[in-house]
Amino acid sequence: MLAMAVGNLSENNSTNIQQVSDSSFDSQSSRAIWDVKPVAVIDDLNVTFKRSNETIFALRGVDLAINPAEIVALVGESGSGKSVLGLSLLGLLDNNSKPKVTGSVRVGDVDVLGASNSQLQSLRRHQLGAVFQDPMTSLNPTMRIGKQLNEVTSSTEESIELLRSVGVPDPEKRLGAYPFELSGGLRQRVMIAIALGGSPKLIIADEPTTALDVTVQAQILELILSVREKASTSFLMITHDLGVAGMVADRIVVMYGGQIVEQGTTKTILETPKHPYTQGLLRSRLTLEGSSKGKISTMSGEGYDARTLPIGCGFSPRCECSVELCQVSAPELREFHDDHALSCWKDTDKYQASQPTRPPTASSEGNDNLDRSPLDKDALDKASPAAQEKGGEVLVGDLVVSFKVGSARSRSVLKALRGVTLEVKPGSALAIVGESGSGKSTLLRSLVGLNNLSSGSMTAPPPGEIQMVFQDAGASLTPWMTIQDLLNERLLAGGVKSKLERQKRAIAACESVGLHPQMLQAKAYQLSGGQRQRAALARAIVIPPKVLLCDEPTSALDVSLAAIVLNLISELRQRLHMTLLFVTHDLAVAKIIADEVAVMYLGQIVEQGTTQQILHNPMHPYTKSLISAVPGGSRIRQTLRGEPASALATPTGCSFHPRCFEAVPKCTQNEQLLYVSKASKGHFVRCAVALGVD
Amino acid sequence: MALTGVYSSQNTSLARRKLSSTVRSLAANNTRTNLVFASLPVIVTVLVLAVPLLAPHNPLVPAGPAFQPPGHNGFLLGSDSVGRDELSRVLYGMRTSWFSALAVIASGLLIGVTIGSVAAVSGGWIDALLMRFTDIFLSLPGPVLAIAVVAALGPSLVHTLIGVGIVWWPFYARVVRGEIRSLAARPHLEAAKLSGVRVVRRTLRHLLPGTLPALVVTASLDIGNLVLTLAGLSFLGLGAPAPAPELGAMSARNLTFLLQDYWTAVMPGIGILILALVGNLAGDGLRSLMKDR
Repeated sequence: MLAMAVGNLSENNSTNIQQVSDSSFDSQSSRAIWDVKPVAVIDDLNVTFKRSNETIFALRGVDLAINPAEIVALVGESGSGKSVLGLSLLGLLDNNSKPKVTGSVRVGDVDVLGASNSQLQSLRRHQLGAVFQDPMTSLNPTMRIGKQLNEVTSSTEESIELLRSVGVPDPEKRLGAYPFELSGGLRQRVMIAIALGGSPKLIIADEPTTALDVTVQAQILELILSVREKASTSFLMITHDLGVAGMVADRIVVMYGGQIVEQGTTKTILETPKHPYTQGLLRSRLTLEGSSKGKISTMSGEGYDARTLPIGCGFSPRCECSVELCQVSAPELREFHDDHALSCWKDTDKYQASQPTRPPTASSEGNDNLDRSPLDKDALDKASPAAQEKGGEVLVGDLVVSFKVGSARSRSVLKALRGVTLEVKPGSALAIVGESGSGKSTLLRSLVGLNNLSSGSMTAPPPGEIQMVFQDAGASLTPWMTIQDLLNERLLAGGVKSKLERQKRAIAACESVGLHPQMLQAKAYQLSGGQRQRAALARAIVIPPKVLLCDEPTSALDVSLAAIVLNLISELRQRLHMTLLFVTHDLAVAKIIADEVAVMYLGQIVEQGTTQQILHNPMHPYTKSLISAVPGGSRIRQTLRGEPASALATPTGCSFHPRCFEAVPKCTQNEQLLYVSKASKGHFVRCAVALGVD
Repeated sequence: MALTGVYSSQNTSLARRKLSSTVRSLAANNTRTNLVFASLPVIVTVLVLAVPLLAPHNPLVPAGPAFQPPGHNGFLLGSDSVGRDELSRVLYGMRTSWFSALAVIASGLLIGVTIGSVAAVSGGWIDALLMRFTDIFLSLPGPVLAIAVVAALGPSLVHTLIGVGIVWWPFYARVVRGEIRSLAARPHLEAAKLSGVRVVRRTLRHLLPGTLPALVVTASLDIGNLVLTLAGLSFLGLGAPAPAPELGAMSARNLTFLLQDYWTAVMPGIGILILALVGNLAGDGLRSLMKDR
């Protein structure tokens, strides 16, 4: 219930939601009258690290107080210092990086910075809890869950009770399990249970849902809200996603370059943000609302470089409103309204008086670099007669891919794809959406011949005319080779013999993806995250393919960077007339990039149609719950139970029925077929119940 | 009684703290120390190349009275049973040992990398066949095989090296195969495949460079091993025949004089120790450097 209320906080909401959020507000302010003492206070905290002779200014004068039973979201891009802040609270700054800390951090009555090791230990044991992004690495892989819980509880009964309170089914049985035997969502629940064990006053959750599927993410966020409700625990939620912050937080603190640039209540930050950075973050966020397709607005430039100390405002190099004043003098964080603080010169008298400077010039990472780049489109077009023939199409018929897993003695068959039929028209863009384990990546890999097919048919362009962009662009670039080498290889394989021609084409490709040609001499580790993704794209399109496959190319990137890369892919696709197959777990990304969407569950397509049909008229219960799990919408929340079944043991009948909220008894027996919807053309749904077929 | 107990426990804790601070300060300039260690083999190679210039005397020709103790009559490390300069003989012996070890490692790398990479890239029955072949050689005891080879071909340094070389490559083959198999599962190889890069070029440019760190560490750790193995064989008389300055053989032959004229047997032993130590320090240093990266 509460999840619904807070989840509904968003930019465009109705009056009824306003009411809900207002009431939650009242309870907050009344609480503020009762307890005056915050659970944690950070005062003028500065942290610098030294790594291989470089000084990193991680935090620069941060003040923060967390009240009892308050959920504070700390939002920022990677490198903003948000994780360092969390670690400082825990007293866990990495000693190898020689942290230099000034200021004060108090949790309860303990001065964290001055505390001895034993004091810190008791602090972490009794007052603090921690939940990290990857529960697999923070749980001990060699210990049973029960034993790990016993370190914080006094009896088995207490452990069972704890597991039950965080919604772990069959807690008695789970005590004997090892972490690897649990799914990602369950592991994160166990992590939260351990964090709750010492009944802490404050839990620091560092990106607790980033590694999870959307439906599981929604479950965990609900759990966090209910824990707060039941145990009055405060949370510091560290996240890069304003949507996630909006779903649970009472207050949002936005960080940039090791400083707090804006803070206020969730409602204020989401509805009336004042800082250009917060505004930019909100604009480049992908939501299911708003205009359906086209260019996402982006911020210029790439993340902040913590190795240099800016003289003026740290954000001014990327800021559209930057004036001379911003570059020479750093603004202070000042109270703006009640519960709304801001660190920006805008709206001050000084700002009005200062000379406006030219708008920030986009660096090589600039978003609109593409339009300006002197790309000779001809060079690329001429290069490939294929591109002028208007692409080829991809046909997949009843494709089955299975893998043998396990040792020779206990061999079992993992059915990754269970009969997938798909047709992609030339020049169109199809998004394949699904949770992890749905077979979406397997499908893509089968198309380029990286998997062996078990049965079925497939028509796809020959290897040279189908290219793929990987999820981890950095890992897809050979670490010891320069970008030039990698592009050269592609050109050589494509039959470009002349060295000069190869050189020219490599430069042209770089320019078309917005990468400075100087970067051709760089190796992958010398590039930033965004540049790596551009380099990977450059290799894929240096000889324009008929079909471009993208395997979650943006899921590892910061929000503002993801938007830039999505724009780039859309633009390249149109310019080079490529057919696009885009795998993503995020329906909001699909909305931006695709004409058509195919939703996959456990190796089958459960629904397919145009983007409009899928987003506005979803019919399959799975699609519906996926849509409602996307953070930050004013939709009715329909949290999905459980997690995807294992592909090793697919359920009988409709494979989705164990999680389905609309399941009827016969769903457990009859395998579902992919039906065509009568109402809307070209809309396929694998659910007889939803379509009313008998 | 109780008081002294407390006092001594305080004392030990103080000592422990002191010790741990020393360890920490050592760890602090770890990188620099490791760099020095890693560069030792290069320094030794240069020194060993310069031995003809450094050695004061001809190692094969007597240069004065026999059994001179170190420091007498211009013999810095003394002279042996026929009056040859011990220092020159040890230096030349180190030269032989060092180059022998490098030669065996080079041949091991050549064979091992070839077989390992072919096995890893081909997979299937070729992989199985090559790896079983490797296992056969891995099961042969090195020194015994070397004795057999020398027995068959006659005593000579080259024959000893052939004997050791035959059994020294399988480990490299396994390392290379393992490294390539793990690299092959990484996206950059799939990306290269999709770019249309053919298998030979893929192996040479996208896989083999990645095995370099592991190979360098393994090979440098092996130098010490090899120096000891070769010295052992030479000690048993499987090496260059009599007048040649070989560390193992020198120790063996002068063992009878150990009690009266210790230096004749001990100095070659110290030579072996230095070389083995250099190999091990270099290996450890390189391993830490690679791990840090």
